[in-house]
Amino acid sequence: MSAHHHVSAPERTRVTPSGLAGRGRLATLFGAALCVLAVVLGFVQEEGMARLQHGWLLAVTFFVTLGLGGLFFVLVQYLVRAGWSVVVRRLAEHLAGSLPLMGLLLLPVVIPTLFGNGQLYHWADPHELAESHLLQEKAPYLNGWFLLVRVAIYVGVWTLLVRAFNRRSLAQDDTGDPSMTIWMQKRAAPSVLAFALTLTFFAFDMLMSLSYEWFSTIFGVYVFAGSAVALFATLVLLALRFEGRGELRGIVTTEHYHDLGKLLFAFVFFWGYIAFSQFMLIWYGDIPEETVWFQQRWVGSWKYVSLLLLFGHFLLPFVGLLSRHVKRNRSLLASWAVLLLLMHLVDLYWLIMPTLSPEGASIGLIDFACLSGVGGLFLGGLWRRIDGKPLVPLRDPRLGESLAFQNL
Amino acid sequence: MVITAATEPKRAHVAAPVVDVLSDDPTQRPPLMTGENDFTSITDDVCGIAEREATPRAWYIAFAASVTGMTVMFAMLGYLIFNGVGVWGNNQPVAWGWPIVNFVFWVGIGHAGTLISAILFLFRQGWRTSINRFAEAMTIFAVCCAGIFPAVHIGRVWMAYYLFPIPNQMEMWPNFRSPLLWDVFAVSAYALTSLMFWYMGMIPDLATLRDRAKGKVRQIAYGIASMGWTGSARQWHRYEKAYLLLAGLATPLVLSVHSVVSFDFAVSQVPGWHTTIFPPYFVAGAIFSGFAMVVTLMIPARQFFGLKHLVTMKHLEIMCKIILATGMMVGYAYAIEFFIAWYGGNPYERFAFINRAMGPYAWAYWTMATCNVLVPQLFWFKKLRTNLWVMMGVCILVNVGMWFERFVITVISLSRDFLPSSWDYFKPTAVDVLTFAGSFGLFFTLFLLFCRYLPMVAMAEVKTVLPQAHAGHGLHAEEPAR
Amino acid sequence: MSASNLHGLVAYYADVDSLLAAVRRVREAGYQRFDAHSPFPVHGIDPVMGIRPTVLPWLVLGAGLTGCAGALLMQWWTNGHDYAFLISGKPLFGLPAAIPVTFELIILLSAFMTFFGMLALNTLPLLSNPLLRTAGFGRVTADRFAISIEAADACFESHATRELLAGTGALSVEACESDESSAVVPKWIKQLTMIGAAIALIPPALIAMERYGTRTTPRIHVITDMDFQSKAKAQSASLLFEDGRAMRRPVEGTLAVGEWIEDEYRATGKVAGQLGTGFPYEIDRAVMERGRQRFDIYCGVCHGLDGLGRGPIAVRAESLEESAWVPPTNLHDERLLTVPEGHLFEVITNGVRNMPAYAAQLSVDDRWAVVAYLRALQRSRNASIEDVPTDQQRNFK
Repeated sequence: MSAHHHVSAPERTRVTPSGLAGRGRLATLFGAALCVLAVVLGFVQEEGMARLQHGWLLAVTFFVTLGLGGLFFVLVQYLVRAGWSVVVRRLAEHLAGSLPLMGLLLLPVVIPTLFGNGQLYHWADPHELAESHLLQEKAPYLNGWFLLVRVAIYVGVWTLLVRAFNRRSLAQDDTGDPSMTIWMQKRAAPSVLAFALTLTFFAFDMLMSLSYEWFSTIFGVYVFAGSAVALFATLVLLALRFEGRGELRGIVTTEHYHDLGKLLFAFVFFWGYIAFSQFMLIWYGDIPEETVWFQQRWVGSWKYVSLLLLFGHFLLPFVGLLSRHVKRNRSLLASWAVLLLLMHLVDLYWLIMPTLSPEGASIGLIDFACLSGVGGLFLGGLWRRIDGKPLVPLRDPRLGESLAFQNL
Repeated sequence: MVITAATEPKRAHVAAPVVDVLSDDPTQRPPLMTGENDFTSITDDVCGIAEREATPRAWYIAFAASVTGMTVMFAMLGYLIFNGVGVWGNNQPVAWGWPIVNFVFWVGIGHAGTLISAILFLFRQGWRTSINRFAEAMTIFAVCCAGIFPAVHIGRVWMAYYLFPIPNQMEMWPNFRSPLLWDVFAVSAYALTSLMFWYMGMIPDLATLRDRAKGKVRQIAYGIASMGWTGSARQWHRYEKAYLLLAGLATPLVLSVHSVVSFDFAVSQVPGWHTTIFPPYFVAGAIFSGFAMVVTLMIPARQFFGLKHLVTMKHLEIMCKIILATGMMVGYAYAIEFFIAWYGGNPYERFAFINRAMGPYAWAYWTMATCNVLVPQLFWFKKLRTNLWVMMGVCILVNVGMWFERFVITVISLSRDFLPSSWDYFKPTAVDVLTFAGSFGLFFTLFLLFCRYLPMVAMAEVKTVLPQAHAGHGLHAEEPAR
Repeated sequence: MSASNLHGLVAYYADVDSLLAAVRRVREAGYQRFDAHSPFPVHGIDPVMGIRPTVLPWLVLGAGLTGCAGALLMQWWTNGHDYAFLISGKPLFGLPAAIPVTFELIILLSAFMTFFGMLALNTLPLLSNPLLRTAGFGRVTADRFAISIEAADACFESHATRELLAGTGALSVEACESDESSAVVPKWIKQLTMIGAAIALIPPALIAMERYGTRTTPRIHVITDMDFQSKAKAQSASLLFEDGRAMRRPVEGTLAVGEWIEDEYRATGKVAGQLGTGFPYEIDRAVMERGRQRFDIYCGVCHGLDGLGRGPIAVRAESLEESAWVPPTNLHDERLLTVPEGHLFEVITNGVRNMPAYAAQLSVDDRWAVVAYLRALQRSRNASIEDVPTDQQRNFK
């Protein structure tokens, strides 16, 4: 509002992180080594291959959903021409930048389906196909080659979107050309459409088809809600990290954390709403082919995982983030962000793992190896992308608005 | 003699700098209103409408038409109550005919008001201040129309109190596990909360009307309605907190109301009804139809009452964008439903969807798909979404489409369910048609009364988005309002 | 006008900046009972005036929690406890199904508290306020800003306060008089209210008369509730049908589901149209016990538990000297000792003379059980010593 002109744009050198590339290479090496370890463990351990595929899928989808959250945030900021968010948008751009690599890492779970390996996706097993009439009905969609084509399309669309938006945003740092912003504003709406469709079918293909007999029309929205929660939690943590390092000090202020906190709160509620809608309608309808999915998640120790989600992903953070005081307190907000990021992992674990160990929740060494391996690759890529580029869109036309932003 | 802007312009609009409110230029925020506005001019412009001594003839014509429609509706309801539900087309297998379709249609329209007041308030969308009062009023009136249908649908309206848990000598309680009872609670809570929200927002503006009122009747009426508001800082402090709280409460309430309406269908096992995406899909559809109705009413109202500088083309353009966005969400839900109907492999579900698109009601299905998904695509083009005629046409078609959406869901699934021997083709009766048509009469009657006697624009809120409303304005007088 | 009638002073300002500056001055001067007035909420005025955050959010939180607890309790008590009925296999009180109503009541109660709490904290409605009668104050809800200082303030001193306000850049300063007379409700309002109240009593009085008075004609039936329907009631006459009955008889030979019995003798007591002899199935102790029980219930009331025709109804009928009364048959009559079993079965099934048919009360097999018990009863009156088991015969010697 009235105070735009009092805030001058930050200097380029101050907001440009350096020395992260080396750390990034280290993280990549570390990640690659752990990935190899996971594969070795998969070959050595009894039934290790099934666990390896499940653990790998969990790890990759976790980071893919973070990237998708970032992409969503970037697209929506341009779509609604938001001003307040400019100072944190670059962080989301970098998160979205991980999508091409993370998309490639989906191949290790897609390719086995081409060879009739049904350890992860039971529908890929030829014996299953021969015996299940239901599966024969679905085979035109659920088959290895078509899955490969679809995943290629999803990752291709994401890569195109990330390229188009991130490149222009970075170029604007040098030129300050407002036409870049206009270009992106125009393309944001169709991009969101492409994003919604690819995310939905990605969720159907990679997660819902794990139990091929089960189906739920809201499933895409459910995965989207979880991704958005994870994104805002990550944005809070990343902003705090670079505020601590100094690049964002005095730029990302309490006001921005307050807004990120509000959005985190809103999406916690949205996730709860979507999760409840899915559960309640299936519980009430009580049709065996649908309830079986929730039944599997109420067996043995899965029951406690389900309850953990109810409390940890919804009820507790909902109450915890209700107050304005919490959203404006960095350490309180950060602790809720850490919890919610963890809960997003638990959520995906709850979606994926019951097909591996239906009798109860179980965690193996391989799961940790996969998660830290893929996580290392993700973090390595992120640090290298961040390194040497301004963390703030220096000449974005709405930067002044964002810097001077105040919650009323 | 009350002088209004319409009769005697006090300000030279010519002198105002020409600004393009539709500008996409990211380097500046276009102003929310056009022309030179100040506190006095806004008060005069808005109050002038309610204070006009001679009611325009066009208003009387519209009012007479609306009252006629309303009378037809009440006559039909009287006939229905006297004779029983048999006068409707409802019969086995379509026991939920037009009344439920109309109920969902009106409740859906009643969602835009609270969305604009509450959700856009939380999103700090300053442009909402010009249209929120208008949209809230529309919400209340639409909910009034909606409430009639389930109330008379119960057959014996004088037994309606059984919907509520009132202790009675038969020691019976309503069934709280029934989604129809959830509906009673959701719609009542929504009607009451929207009413309080609307009325609370109006208190400061009613005080303005009170202080300007000339006649004794007006003074007393506005005086009682404004409750003795003095605009003191201590009052404003609690008022603003209350407004924020109501906005925070109304936001999840909006989501819940149409979700609960969707539960009426989705908790069942009827193919085409039982699908998990129903709650968010219904909410998106409700916002879609509600915004379309706001635009449909706003275009003539701003033209007729001289509010074009407060409700600018920018406001209309943003609403058109929201209509496009929610229309796409509805289209997404249609597509996913179809895909999962096939993917799920349940032959009944597959049949239900093929029957929708290719069965005897295909005309209804394709009307719905065309109006709701194809027609709003025109709004991709800036030229079209800033053309009043195109806007009006699209918005009317959207509401036609949204009525058909509820028709498709309610009637098609019921007309052909699990038992082929009882399949039938639903036909409405004249009473059905006249009751629905008459409900528009009720809606417009209330609406015209609102336009005539109450502040149509939230003056106090619009004033807060003027640059003069902020401390230190004198130092930066050159800046335009955001 | 005396000073005691002075309610306070009001100063008017043209814009937000001068209002804020003036408020700062007034507060610094030590005034407590003052307020700023504006047509819209002025941001940033709260700290200047020293307004502390309102308690309203906490009240709303309380209302929300009350709504939550109340809704859950209500649903559990009504459906799970007080009026428990099972429907579509759902638990009597299931949390998922209770959430929608709980949610709506949380919101509704919170919204009520927000709205009414805001009004109450602002002491609204307050229709009689001296400020509202102050001439210049009318513009404060349109385009003016004002500061009002109450005369009740400890620092208030008519002249000095006026000086202070005038020195803050006020456009004008006006005295605000409290007008005692207008606090009295006008007489015509009182009269109108009383007349209205009297008129309002008429409808309830009429209803009470109608409901509780004595009448010779039927009462007005406002809500008919399907009480009078154009339909034929059971057992009534109807001109529509040739036989004059409203009820239709089932088609000849109609049997209810499960009543078809293959064996003709077992079903009718006849073989090829002739009454048969013997029992269609084996009679054991259980059948006999069943027969005795049914006999005591259905036959004993007239024929007597011993079958001599002296049951309580017969005794009573005789004591009343009912002329039309046909005494029940003595079941030990010579004639009945020799009739075939099929005859006894047929009489029970269809009735005879005054005895009604018992087919509706006794199933086919129960009727045979009664026949068997009746045979045993008859035998007990005409038994010889050979009928007693040999090991017990000596008890009768």
